[in-house]
Amino acid sequence: MTAVIEAVVVPRRRRSYRRVGTGAGSLVLVLVLWEAAARVIGDPVTLPTVTETVRTFGEYLAKPYPEVQGKTLLQDALISTGRILAGFLLGSAAGLLLGASMAGVRVVRELADPVIAVVRPLPPIAFIPLLVVWFGIGETSKIALILFGVLPVVTVATLGALDAVPAELGHASRSLGASPLHTMLHVRLRAAVPGVITGMRIAMGGAWTAIIAAEMIAATGGVGFLILQAGNYLQTPLIFSGIAEIAVLGFVFDGLLRLLLRLADPTAR
Amino acid sequence: MSAVVESPAVAEQATGVRIRDVHKTFHRKRRPGRAALEGVSLDVEPGEFLCLLGPSGCGKSTLLSIIAGFTSADSGEVIVGGRAVTGPGHERGVLFQTPNLFPWLTTWQNVLYGPKARGVLTAEVREEAAELLETVGLADARDAYPHELSGGMRHRAAFARVLINHPGVLLMDEPFGALDAITRAGMQRFLLELWQKRRTTIVFVTHDVEEAALLGDRVCVLSAPPGGTKAVLDIGLPRPRSYDDTETLEFVQAKRRIREVLER
Repeated sequence: MTAVIEAVVVPRRRRSYRRVGTGAGSLVLVLVLWEAAARVIGDPVTLPTVTETVRTFGEYLAKPYPEVQGKTLLQDALISTGRILAGFLLGSAAGLLLGASMAGVRVVRELADPVIAVVRPLPPIAFIPLLVVWFGIGETSKIALILFGVLPVVTVATLGALDAVPAELGHASRSLGASPLHTMLHVRLRAAVPGVITGMRIAMGGAWTAIIAAEMIAATGGVGFLILQAGNYLQTPLIFSGIAEIAVLGFVFDGLLRLLLRLADPTAR
Repeated sequence: MSAVVESPAVAEQATGVRIRDVHKTFHRKRRPGRAALEGVSLDVEPGEFLCLLGPSGCGKSTLLSIIAGFTSADSGEVIVGGRAVTGPGHERGVLFQTPNLFPWLTTWQNVLYGPKARGVLTAEVREEAAELLETVGLADARDAYPHELSGGMRHRAAFARVLINHPGVLLMDEPFGALDAITRAGMQRFLLELWQKRRTTIVFVTHDVEEAALLGDRVCVLSAPPGGTKAVLDIGLPRPRSYDDTETLEFVQAKRRIREVLER
C-alpha cells in the first residue's frame, strides 16, 4: 500500500517541476517577442526595449519620480500594498462575518440577499468620486473603496461555500460525539474554508483594479499615481515599470492565497 | 483463555433497539404532507444483525435517521440501550451511503476525530486507533488524505472512525450501495468478519435482497410507502457466514422467502 501511495506522489512532483519550467519558458518567450518588436519599431516612447525597461525599473526603484515631491518605485509599491492589505483584510473579515450570519440566520439572509444582489454588479470604481467627497483623497477613501469591492465577493463566496457543505458531514460529526458548537466550528466552517479562499482570490483581482484606478484619479502616491505621472510626461519605460510592479505584486499576493488554499485543502496539493 | 474472557466483554457493550409505533410525516409547503412511516414497531436484540429491507421511498432511511437522532419522530418511542433517543450520540455509530470522511484530515486524524471532540483522547485511545487501522487494513494509509484512498479504503476508514467510539449499535444506511460489485463483495466479507469478532448490534438498511440474506440474522421487510413493518423473517443460515454460502440451497430459499414478502 505504501508503494501505491508513493507511486502516486512521486510523478506528481516531477510533473509540477516540468509545469514550472514550461511556465517560465512561456514568460521568457513573451519577453523575447517584446524585445524583438521594440527593436523593429525603434521608438522608445511607443515601445521601449525590455533592457531599457529593466534599466529604468532598477534606476527608479530607489530614485524618486517626479523628482520634486515624488516617490521611489519601492515607496509607491509599499503605499499601494498597504492600502490593498488594509482594505482587503477588513473586507474579507466583514464578508466572512456577513456570509456566515446569512448562512446561519434566515432573517439576515433575507435582508442581505437583495442588497448584495444590487450592489455586487456595481463596479467599485464608480464610487471613487463619492468616496473622495466623503473621505477626502487620503488613505480612508482608498481603503473604503477596496473594502466595498471585496465585501460582496467574499460574502457570496462564504455563503455559497457554507451552503455547499453536505448536511451528512455535520451528522457524521454529531454522531461521533462532537457537540453542535464543535461541529459548527470544526466541520461546517472548516469545510467552507477552501471556497472562502477561492472567493478571496477573485476579490484580490478586483481590489488591484480598484486601487490603481483610485490612485490615478485622486492620490499623491502609489503605483497608479506613478503610472499616470509617467504617462503625462511620455515616460513609457516608467509606465512599463509600474505595470511590471503591479504584475509582481499581484502574482505574490495570489501566490500567498494559493499557498493558503493548499494548506487548507489537501485535494488542491 | 483470552477468547473466553473477550466474547462476553464485547457482547456486554452491544445494546438493543426498541422501536414502538413510530410515525413520521414530512411536511411540504401548501401541499398535504407525505407520510414516510406509519406505525413502525421493531425490536433488535443486543448483538443481532438486522437488515431493514424495502422498496425505495419506503422510509427505511428515515427510520435509521430517527434511531441515529438526526430526525425526530412525530410520535412513538425509540429506545436504544434503555435510553430514549433525543439526538445524535457516539454510542450509536452511523455509517452513511458515502463514507463522509473529513477531507481535510488524514486517515489517522479522521479516526481520532470522535475521541478528540469528546475530550477523551488518551495514549490508550491512540494505541487502539493504531490497532483498528491494522484491523481494517489501513495501517500504511495512516497519513493519506481521503481523496488519496480508493472507495473501499474510504469505507474501511469510516468503519475505524466509528468503531473507536465503541458504539453499542451500528446504524448503516446502504453503506455499500455506491460501490462497484467487486469492492462491494469485499466490503460485505469485511463486515461479516468484523461482526463475527465484535458482535455489535447492527441495523443495516438495504434494498438488495441478496445482501440482506447474506448479512442479516433477521430481515425486516417494510411495506411500500408509507412504511410499516410488513414481516420480520429469520434467516436460518449458520454463522460464521462467507461468500460461498450464497451458492447453497438454503441461501436461495431464504432469498425467495424475502422476495415473496416483498411482492405480497
